[in-house]
Amino acid sequence: MLYRETGQFKTSYAADMAIFPIRQDRIALYVLLAIAFIGIPVLDALQVWPFAGEYLLRAILIPFLILSLAAVGLNILTGYCGQLSLGSGAFMAVGAYSAYKFGTGVHLPLGLFDIAIPALPVLPSILLGGVMAAAVGILFGVPSLRIKGLYLAVATLAAQFFFDWVFIRVQWFTNYTSSGSVTAPELNFFGLIVNKPVERYLLCLIFVTVVALLAKNLVRGNIGRQWMAIRDMDIAAELMGIRPLYAKLTAFAISSFIMGIAGALWAFVYLGSWEPLAFNIDRSFQILFMVIIGGLGSILGSFLGAAFILVLPIMLDQVPHALGIPISVETVSLLVFVVTGALICWLLIVEPHGFARLWLTGKEKLRLWPYPY
Amino acid sequence: MVAFGQFLEVLISGLLAGVLYSLVALGFVLIFKASGVFNFAQGAMVLLAGLALVRALDLMVAKGMPFWGAVIVGLVFAAAVMSLTAYLVERFVLGPLVNQDGLTLFMATIGVTFIIEGGAQMLFGAEVYPLPLFPTDAWFLFEKTFEGGILVSKIDVWGGMIAAVLVVGLALFFQRTKTGRALRAVADDHAAAQSVGISLDWIWFIVWLVAGLVALVAATVWGTKLGVQFSITFLALKALPVLIIGGFTSVPGAIVGGLIVGAGEKIAEAYLGPSIGGGIEYWFAYVLALAVLLARPQGLFGERIIERI
Amino acid sequence: MRATGGPEIAVGDVLLSVEAVSLSFGGVKAVSDVSFDIRKGEIRAIIGPNGAGKTSMLNIINGFYHPQHGRITFKGATRSRMRPHEAARGGIARTFQNVALFKGMTALDNIMAGRTLKMHANLFWQMLRVGPALKEEIEHRHRVEEIIDFLKIQDIRRVPVARLPYGLQKRVELGRALAMEPELLLLDEPMAGMNLEEKEDMSRFVLDVNDHFGTTVALIEHDMGVVMDLSDRVVVLDHGIKIADGTPDEVKNNQAVIDAYLGVAH
Repeated sequence: MLYRETGQFKTSYAADMAIFPIRQDRIALYVLLAIAFIGIPVLDALQVWPFAGEYLLRAILIPFLILSLAAVGLNILTGYCGQLSLGSGAFMAVGAYSAYKFGTGVHLPLGLFDIAIPALPVLPSILLGGVMAAAVGILFGVPSLRIKGLYLAVATLAAQFFFDWVFIRVQWFTNYTSSGSVTAPELNFFGLIVNKPVERYLLCLIFVTVVALLAKNLVRGNIGRQWMAIRDMDIAAELMGIRPLYAKLTAFAISSFIMGIAGALWAFVYLGSWEPLAFNIDRSFQILFMVIIGGLGSILGSFLGAAFILVLPIMLDQVPHALGIPISVETVSLLVFVVTGALICWLLIVEPHGFARLWLTGKEKLRLWPYPY
Repeated sequence: MVAFGQFLEVLISGLLAGVLYSLVALGFVLIFKASGVFNFAQGAMVLLAGLALVRALDLMVAKGMPFWGAVIVGLVFAAAVMSLTAYLVERFVLGPLVNQDGLTLFMATIGVTFIIEGGAQMLFGAEVYPLPLFPTDAWFLFEKTFEGGILVSKIDVWGGMIAAVLVVGLALFFQRTKTGRALRAVADDHAAAQSVGISLDWIWFIVWLVAGLVALVAATVWGTKLGVQFSITFLALKALPVLIIGGFTSVPGAIVGGLIVGAGEKIAEAYLGPSIGGGIEYWFAYVLALAVLLARPQGLFGERIIERI
Repeated sequence: MRATGGPEIAVGDVLLSVEAVSLSFGGVKAVSDVSFDIRKGEIRAIIGPNGAGKTSMLNIINGFYHPQHGRITFKGATRSRMRPHEAARGGIARTFQNVALFKGMTALDNIMAGRTLKMHANLFWQMLRVGPALKEEIEHRHRVEEIIDFLKIQDIRRVPVARLPYGLQKRVELGRALAMEPELLLLDEPMAGMNLEEKEDMSRFVLDVNDHFGTTVALIEHDMGVVMDLSDRVVVLDHGIKIADGTPDEVKNNQAVIDAYLGVAH
């Protein structure tokens, strides 16, 4: 009975088109934001369980936020625009290494003229990382105009393997370090040094909140409808005057931009120093699974999927231990494979729109409660 | 003549390596033709078949069975595992997903890939297992014509011969047997095939079984060459560009595509590698596929698609 | 409701004409040497037995298929081939034989998608959803709600179209086409698979669209009763060839048409 919209009348289309037209949803969102922005930092300062030590922030919340961001990016491309990508890792890598280059100074001797940009502050570096990823995304999106579905998946796989190779072999990108591993510059935001886990967490949280809001606005506006039209029935969309070129390339650009930022944050804020391996094809599959499990075509789903994929291995590790069943680390990692795969198959069969749809169904039920219909 | 001899050596080794790609690509084509499913799990099936084979074989040898006997037991056991897999996949994943669009089915096979990869290694172990089925040393040919001769690895030749036998066998299966003809009927039109009394469940099981057996054959060759190990699945991913180049629906396309990719990446590695940094093999096939896609979206041997609405 | 651009064409003048159009797929002739015209403000039916090339004809008109021979003149501009976006921009809207809605979207979003060509706020504003983007969104929502009222589908606006019954899907699809405010509306079997009541509803909508908005309609239909009642002029195709053209009465009594439908060998 708590969750009912009776009596909430909308008097304008603007009110009807709000992100959360139902009051209870709005309240829930404010509560969630308050917990995220105020509650968690306070609990961390007090070192209350489970925030004792830095494990929860460092190993769960920060990666959760960053990977959610990447999942939002992929969801725009795959979930909303229907273009399957197996190359998310590559776009994240382009973001990370571009941000690194901008952050440490770009010097590119081209013979006739040299490109030399001094080291930029962190924030513009990260954003430019996103811009570079967007440019690469557009480049690999161009084939999507002629090829569809599985064929495009292979094109994105080409991006994945090509960039894996580039960042291992082309030492210019790693500033010629002997190990191939690079270290992020100091996280200095307008004089504010972000260092402690809780500061890193808040930084990611701000990025995620802003990007998720902007992404939500895009998908429920005109361009979002164009993307979904292309996804659902591209021929009909074209005959209605929707330009596939524009729709697909904007999806590639915006999706890659977000993934590039996620990649830069992953490298700068979560890892600190990293190798190309951090963005290999396993990462691409991880992000794809988040999107499938969370819900194709749902911003909320990106978060649910990211949470699930991150928590699953921890659960599979902890639960048998708690029950007194000895289970080796290796078995856990293999079990994660099996459970994830099985869940993907199961969801595709029973609920192709993932957790997000289950969530919606739950809300419907709650509205009608205590009546079944 | 040294340069030409070297080129020949690279070309031959590339073509023979390409045959191995073709072997996996064949499995893809079989499933795609009959069910319209693009089976991402083909590489995982090679790993599963290889692990089942090598583990059963090692066990039998440890129990004192002669090697050839152990090989037979291993092959039979692996074939049994592949048929069980085919049954389970058909029954629990593809059966319920019948009539879904290609992309959903593709994502489901990615799920299947992870189940098989995790499950196979949990059951049979996750280490590198040597599989000494074929000789791995090399011949030196034309030693009189070229200085040092042309090095040809025996395992690659074995692979080539096995692939040839397999292709002939499959061709006979499709042309001469009742099941093979039913398969072709299903490929042409699901509904029509059902209406003349062909059971789709049965046919799809057969398709996955045949693909599983092709995976087993590929596993014998690859396992001998590299040892049975997880990274085999990545080599199997190369079957994707092979298919793009050859066309998804064409058996000859899979073979020619494999040869092009195999030879192309070896030649690129040998001649471009030194100037732009080694390891081109890693991405060459995919970028080549991308180029082919842009020029000819249906692949070299694929059929042109007419869109209707 | 009127699409912008192009010269103003008076009622009764030729809006679109196809001249000597031929289309074949790898040797199979779908349409051969067909000419006819559509006048502004009329309801024009295209009929013929199965495989006569009717849908191919619509596909040619809105640029999805490119004919090998012949010319298409739309609003005074002559082309050898139409392009889909030119057709849409010029004011040709379309429904499809097998409903081609955007299955994952709600009825409301489907119809809103029909307004795409008329929305111009750039990505920056859309991202922030303020200023021009929000204003535009609300403005077009008003127009879309008018269409929703007209088609009496208020109660299903938030339902994903995949869940709707067939008859309603057809109605939403008509709504999506109307949202484009077309000058020429192409309907490919709008009443296929409907029961009598649904057919009557749909006929009423087609007549209303034609009457109230002055939209020119070209429709393919198999139900002869509907065709004879609705249309001003009828063109008959058989095996890709035009065999008759005229008012419903003329066509009804044409020997070639009777033969084609009864299957006389020729």
